[in-house]
Amino acid sequence: MKNTLKVERAKLNMTQQDLADKVGVSRQTINSIESEKYVPSTLLAIKISEIFKTTVNDIFRLDDGD
Amino acid sequence: MESKTNNNKGGGIHKHFKKMGIGIIVLALLIGLIIKLSHIELMPTQKAFFKVFVMNGFILGLLFVALAKEKIEDEMIAQMRLKAMSQTFIWAVLYVIIRPFMDLVFRDPVQDLMGQELVLAMLLGYLLNYYSQKFSNK
Repeated sequence: MKNTLKVERAKLNMTQQDLADKVGVSRQTINSIESEKYVPSTLLAIKISEIFKTTVNDIFRLDDGD
Repeated sequence: MESKTNNNKGGGIHKHFKKMGIGIIVLALLIGLIIKLSHIELMPTQKAFFKVFVMNGFILGLLFVALAKEKIEDEMIAQMRLKAMSQTFIWAVLYVIIRPFMDLVFRDPVQDLMGQELVLAMLLGYLLNYYSQKFSNK
């Protein structure tokens, strides 16, 4: 699964730690999502999209292999 | 929108138990080493008692380390724990199957597999798997 989390974060000038604190996960989890090593749960994806005031589909997109 | 962490969800014991577990492991190893190096004459029953004591201390310490929660116990950590546990279970089953054959090759008389030995192997396998996942994700 591809995502534009890093771009969205940069738009708000937010660090990984800031985002992690807001959604209640560790910085390592945000880093793993950004580097596409970890696919977040629906709950976490919704929480992240709410932070950026957008939809889940705008941040997370299915990859060819998904 | 500040969200709460998932620290209170699921099983596990307080994070301070990790340090306690490491302390118990070190203590058990030290006692074992002291007994081994000091060449104290022990009766077979005393020897067996100390062996069980050291082994159980080691297992209890490893259990505390394995069950202790992380500072932030989130969904990725939960997934890593689940993966480590399921892989360790498969590894333990294979260990039980393969061990007697290893005995046949290297020790000749096939020895019964002790529960302590299996639990120790499972705990070590779990911790190794879990921490290798954790550090590869850093």
